[in-house]
Amino acid sequence: MPTTKAITGNGAMAQAMRQINPDVVAAFPITPSTQIIEDFAEFVADGEVNTELITVESEHSAMSACIGASAAGGRVMTATSANGLALMWEMLYIAASMRQPVLMSVVNRALSAPINIHCDHNDSMGARDAGWIQIYAENNQEAYDNMIMAPAIAEHMDVRLPLMVCLDGFIISHSIETMELEDDQKVRDFIGQYQGQNTLLDNEHPVTWGALGLHDYYIEFKRGQQMAIQNAKAVIQDVSERFGQQFGRKYDLFESYRLDDAERVIVAINSVAGEIKEVVDALRDEGEKVGLLKIRVFRPFPYAEIAEALKDVKVITVLDRSTSMGAYGPLFGEIRTALYDANPRPLIYNRTFGLGGRELFPDDIREVFAESKRYLESGKIEKLFDFLNVRGG
Amino acid sequence: MSDKYKLKKWQELAPGGVITEGGNAADYETGTWRTWRPVWCEDDCIHCLTCWVFCPEGAFLLKDGQTAGGKPRKEIEEIDYFHCKGCGLCVRECPVNKQGKKQAIEFVREET
Repeated sequence: MPTTKAITGNGAMAQAMRQINPDVVAAFPITPSTQIIEDFAEFVADGEVNTELITVESEHSAMSACIGASAAGGRVMTATSANGLALMWEMLYIAASMRQPVLMSVVNRALSAPINIHCDHNDSMGARDAGWIQIYAENNQEAYDNMIMAPAIAEHMDVRLPLMVCLDGFIISHSIETMELEDDQKVRDFIGQYQGQNTLLDNEHPVTWGALGLHDYYIEFKRGQQMAIQNAKAVIQDVSERFGQQFGRKYDLFESYRLDDAERVIVAINSVAGEIKEVVDALRDEGEKVGLLKIRVFRPFPYAEIAEALKDVKVITVLDRSTSMGAYGPLFGEIRTALYDANPRPLIYNRTFGLGGRELFPDDIREVFAESKRYLESGKIEKLFDFLNVRGG
Repeated sequence: MSDKYKLKKWQELAPGGVITEGGNAADYETGTWRTWRPVWCEDDCIHCLTCWVFCPEGAFLLKDGQTAGGKPRKEIEEIDYFHCKGCGLCVRECPVNKQGKKQAIEFVREET
């Protein structure tokens, strides 16, 4: 039976790690993800897991150790945030290219400078091209559920790719919410045993990992890697379906919230979705046809499915909690691309919000919907790209 | 060129580029890297095998032979241009070349 537990987002991720009981965890704690590894270190010390916990000197070393341990044949996990993820950059690509199914909690936090410990998505959005599967979570329960699903997705033979579960720093990582903690044995049955492929510790079959591939082979490897992450889409759907049957909570590539007959929709990622749902409910009560599409899987990006879900919408506001300096927000680019072939094509515009933890209140979201109402009536976007809640306009 | 050296399609590659067989550097053509080509001159070669010792690619292939006195020895057979990168170490280290009168290994510009 599941236990209803009051727990922080970080605590929930540590519980997921305890239940997964990985062979190796290599980590270098960084705010706001620190508590994940602190809690997990306790589980190791108390003998609740069989994990080899490697405390390393940097995040670059953490990811390097994870890759080595994974190539050696272990199920491997870690956690990080912001500058820590940035320091892993080089190794993120190597983990993905070497097709090692490393699992990582990314507690989203702003990148310096100025130094800031609060939430935005620039860290994981910057890593979006590294070849990792990216699954985002609105709250503690989703973060936990995503991590319980992660091994079955990442380790699937059609995929074999690393996977990051992203949750909002402080807003989720440090907030206590009640959630369902599933039974240890049931979770372990769901996850199954890990089978490493061509492992370094198999002395009978020596292998080379990380060899050279130049102009004659590199692009073929990348083509294969692209196939693997595209395969992940169907695997995520299958595993989510199986998870729903087993534990009763349903997940898909994204969440459609009151999208039926919606004329104006916000597309957003992570914790802000909870707030938007409140505002959508309130506006629906006032008779307004509004809705929310919440991204769950950002890599691989489900273009066709999202285009289908939004095909009857008239105005779409894409909220990016990150900046691609000199360009539109990363989510906006994907949503606009997904809908390029829609006929009629909806009005789509982009708002940047919440950088460095700047709050977005329900009244702010009401204003967003008021603006999209003006665009719906005029049939014209006045401002394609702008910041919300910034002094100076 | 045999099938062994045929470049594979992306579907045929092992995930992650893992190499599961030993000694497969032999399958990798480094001969295309050459801008200069060592040419072995059999008539002037004393078969001291200095070139064979210094060659980083093992590109000097040997055969069984015998000295003028009839003792068995290894002799140079040919240069394996599939692997020779044209580094020129053999040309530089050859003791015949060093004497300066003859050239047992010439170094010529690779024709493009």
